[in-house]
Amino acid sequence: MTTPTPRVIVPSAAAKGEIFQVKTIISHEMETGLRHDDQGNVIPRKIINKFVCRYNETVVFSVDLHEAISANPFFEFSLRATESGRLDFVWEEDGGAVYTLSHQFTVG
Amino acid sequence: MAGLETGTMSLTRRDVLIAGSAGFAGVALFSPPSARANDEALDLVEQLIGRKAMMSDRLHLIMPADFPTGYTVPMSLYIDSPMTEADHVRQMRVFAPRNPLIEVASFHFVPQRSLPRVSTRIRLAKPQHVVAVAEMNDGVLLMTTTWVRVATDGCA
Repeated sequence: MTTPTPRVIVPSAAAKGEIFQVKTIISHEMETGLRHDDQGNVIPRKIINKFVCRYNETVVFSVDLHEAISANPFFEFSLRATESGRLDFVWEEDGGAVYTLSHQFTVG
Repeated sequence: MAGLETGTMSLTRRDVLIAGSAGFAGVALFSPPSARANDEALDLVEQLIGRKAMMSDRLHLIMPADFPTGYTVPMSLYIDSPMTEADHVRQMRVFAPRNPLIEVASFHFVPQRSLPRVSTRIRLAKPQHVVAVAEMNDGVLLMTTTWVRVATDGCA
C-alpha cells in the first residue's frame, strides 16, 4: 500500500481572464472492492471518491470518482484566471482520509 | 436541480439489466457501432437517470478505438458551451455499461470559472460503447457514445 501523494502542475501566474490548464495526479491504488486476495477474501474497496478544486474558497471544478477511474487518478482541466489568491486541491478517500495541496496564484 | 445526483448509490450492471428487463435486450451496447447501439444507450441513460437524453454532436467523448490494456484507457470529454450563467453545462457523467460497475465519474463545472472539458484515464473490463451524458443548466440531457475495444480486462 503506497502512501497517497498528490501532485499538481499549474502555472504560478496568468493574465486576468486568461484560461490556464491544471494537471493533477495522486498516487493511489484505487482498490475497487471487486478483487480477492490469495485466501479468496474480498479486498475491501478503497478509492479516492471525490476531487475538488477551490479558487479562493469557491469550488470551480469537482469530480465524483467511481471504481472505473484508473489507479493514480489523473485529471486535466481548465480554469479562468479571475484574481490573485490560492488554489486548493482536495482528494477524499473512502474511510474519510483527505489529501490536500495548495498553490499561490498571481493574476497580473 | 439534482436530477443527476445519485448520492452513494452504486449501480451494477445487474441492477440495470434487471431494471431494464422489460424491453432492454442489452445486446447492441456490447457490439460495434450501430444506430441500434445508440438506441440502447439512450434507454440505458433513461434507466440510470430517470429522464430522456438526446444524442448530440455538441458533446465529444474522445477515446482510442483500440487500446491494448483496459487498466488505463485515455479519455477526454468536452462540450461546446458558452459557460455563461444563462447557458452552461452543470455536469458531465460517464458510464461504462459493460463494466461490473457502470458509473465511471461525474465532472462538475462552474459557469465563468471552468471550461467544460476534462481528461482522465479509466478502466474498461471489455470492449464496449462508453457513454457520456451532459446535464445542461436548463435540465436538458445531451449524450454521446464512443466504441472502445480493449484487449485486456481492466477491472480484474
